[in-house]
Amino acid sequence: MITRKSLSRRTLLRGAGAAVALPFLDAMVPALAASGPKKAPVRMAIVYVPNGIMMDGWNPDYEGKLEALPRILKPLEAHKNDILQIGNLTHNTGRALLDGAGDHGRCSGSYLTGVQVKKTLVDIKASVSCDQLVANEVGKHTRLASLEIGLEDARQAGDCDSGYSCAYTNNLAWRSETQPLPPILDPRALFERLFGDGTLLSPEARKAQAAERRSILDFVRGDTQKLKSDLGPTDRRKLDEYLSSIREVERQMEKAASDNQQIDPKMDKPYGVPADFAEHFRLMTDMVTIAFQADLTRVLTFLVTREGTSRAYREIGIPDGHHPLTHHMGKVELMEKVRQINEYHTAQFAAWLTKLKSIQEGDSTLLDNSMIVYGAGLSDGNRHTHEDLPTLIAGRGGKYFTTGRRIVCRRETPMCNLFLTMMDRMGLQMEHFGDATGRLDGLDLS
Amino acid sequence: MQRSQPLPPVGIIFDSDLGNQIDGVLAMALLYGLEGKGECRVVATTVSKPNVKAAALSEVIARFYAGEVSAAYAAMGRTLPVGLATAGPSKEDTPMLAVLGKQTAEGKPAYVHGIDSIQQTANPVDVLRNGLSAQHPGNAIVVATGPATNLAALLKFPLFLHFVPERARLLVVAAGSYPDGKAEPSIAADIVAARKLFAEWPTPIVAVGAEIGEAIPFPGASIEKDFTYTPAHPVADAYKAHQAMPYDATTAAMAAVLHAVRAKDNLFQLSEPGVITVLDDGRTKFTPTEGGKHRYLRVDPAQREKIQQIYTEIASAKPVPRAPRRRFGQQQQEQQQQQQQQNQPQQPPAAKPQP
Repeated sequence: MITRKSLSRRTLLRGAGAAVALPFLDAMVPALAASGPKKAPVRMAIVYVPNGIMMDGWNPDYEGKLEALPRILKPLEAHKNDILQIGNLTHNTGRALLDGAGDHGRCSGSYLTGVQVKKTLVDIKASVSCDQLVANEVGKHTRLASLEIGLEDARQAGDCDSGYSCAYTNNLAWRSETQPLPPILDPRALFERLFGDGTLLSPEARKAQAAERRSILDFVRGDTQKLKSDLGPTDRRKLDEYLSSIREVERQMEKAASDNQQIDPKMDKPYGVPADFAEHFRLMTDMVTIAFQADLTRVLTFLVTREGTSRAYREIGIPDGHHPLTHHMGKVELMEKVRQINEYHTAQFAAWLTKLKSIQEGDSTLLDNSMIVYGAGLSDGNRHTHEDLPTLIAGRGGKYFTTGRRIVCRRETPMCNLFLTMMDRMGLQMEHFGDATGRLDGLDLS
Repeated sequence: MQRSQPLPPVGIIFDSDLGNQIDGVLAMALLYGLEGKGECRVVATTVSKPNVKAAALSEVIARFYAGEVSAAYAAMGRTLPVGLATAGPSKEDTPMLAVLGKQTAEGKPAYVHGIDSIQQTANPVDVLRNGLSAQHPGNAIVVATGPATNLAALLKFPLFLHFVPERARLLVVAAGSYPDGKAEPSIAADIVAARKLFAEWPTPIVAVGAEIGEAIPFPGASIEKDFTYTPAHPVADAYKAHQAMPYDATTAAMAAVLHAVRAKDNLFQLSEPGVITVLDDGRTKFTPTEGGKHRYLRVDPAQREKIQQIYTEIASAKPVPRAPRRRFGQQQQEQQQQQQQQNQPQQPPAAKPQP
């Protein structure tokens, strides 16, 4: 269908207490527009896993085209051509540098800020993180400048590692040098942030609303019907799929709430947080997918679990705490359990990539138009090493990165060199960031 | 920053054109010998000769003195990264780099190293910055021999420059001739870098001219006599490969190391303060200036023999097994714990079980 009048990218379906943004539709591109077809926006995300990774299962023993993947990357087999694995990146500011013990606190605090954080429990000090520098710029074009999510404890005070405040281990994003941005853990809170009209509901109000079992789609039904009548068949199908994905998220949240009640009515979990790790991961990333699809935000930080976490993974038969396991002292059975946890994490990540890849954006996919760093602030969790950090980028950043291969940088190459390069892609030309000594070489940027 | 413990020995950052002059190899031997005596710590090494084999030789020497003799060090799995320039003068292979191919009687490589490609080296700026960032204020000294390529590259990052005067108290540079003289190859090889270094380096500089190295040569006879305790000694093999034996080597780089670590011993005389400038033809000129940040070394004839003895004794000293690198303070804690255990009353031996 050719129309001269295009639909605004910022159109919202509104209803009582709800505001649902739209995905990228053909109707948003006027066929006769002088400027030609609009490019889909580029999204930047950082997914952080804690306590290092068993590097013997992470690093392929070759460079160049990705062929046989090592064990921990195996779950990403279907996405082999969509990832760029990078070796030898280093965070020098995560090292002790005269500050003694506390590698977990330092490595997460410095991960996106690129500075040596102040060792303290009270007067915390880091720096503005690279995601927030980007959010300040590209956030002007979206409803939410950035999203910060996580799956675990987000307390902001106390000693989380040898004199380092929990603010360092439990946050990735920093708005200023003293203000971290705590991740959202509760899917319901994330849902409201994405689709609410800005008013925060009390837990009681949430429960009351849920008790009515009404979908947010019910509230915006009027606007939806009206819009549909103006759309062509392709856009109508796209819109139906998109709204269905929102409904699916709601169903997952209802199920989580119901499951939590059955497991333990007094369970100390935020309302709607699934007890199952994989379900929680999926629910949160499903919502991020919707947020990316609808261009609600272009910047995400995802603290999968916090640095130094002792979370057990009973879902996969591991009752031991993650952090204690990583101090395996070379014991084979403990190392095997860490590998299983690492593998489990990449499997969840792979499932998210599958979702992103399934969403078409013009002649590419949502994954193509994203650049998602998956990595950790330590490589060897047993010895607390800060060099050769496990790092990969999923997605091409809108035909920017050449994926499907492994590159090995020179030793000690600052991780901030990668972030500086990614900031370039997001339209932020910084002369300097953190301890960067330049842009990352060997990426074959287009 | 925690400062409840005594300062560790001075941290030396060593930048050289390893592979060009044998003086650089001897200086490394002296440096690791002094480290073995607990007088300094080698915290970073960078190489300005843009040749991967030069970086490999640097690692071979480091491993010889610290790695292959120490199971604890070997357990670390990775050596300190070697910073290597990727551009600059003297790219070509030299005879001494051929020692990397030496084999044992069993036909195995005599020298093991982990550097076969540029990725296994590091950007010198990263190594210099990271090395400095881990030192206590004023507890580092930079020793440089060869072209100033790497140090000049660090000076191009103004944001890192605060580390230099904050952490390093001195640069000792073996290059040039003083107070003036003929053009010296290290300066002539990269005049732009040498000029930048003398003009912008933010700490005091002590220069060691070629005349110092010529005045107190390293006796080649020592190689034949003092380095024979092992069939594969990288310093001795490099020395022999560099030039037909017998010969005595110049020692400006050794003098730079010795002054850096043992300045308090006044083994050399220091000139008055002044300013060093680099002329268009590669010569250096020292101009006495009140408040100048530069000085140069002069030979004290009374110390000549003593210095030569130090060179041979310490450079040829057998490697001392290094303890694994630990966090500052950790070693002291462990010593305290050991002492506490020793002070505890001895437990009587357990009674043997009755049959």
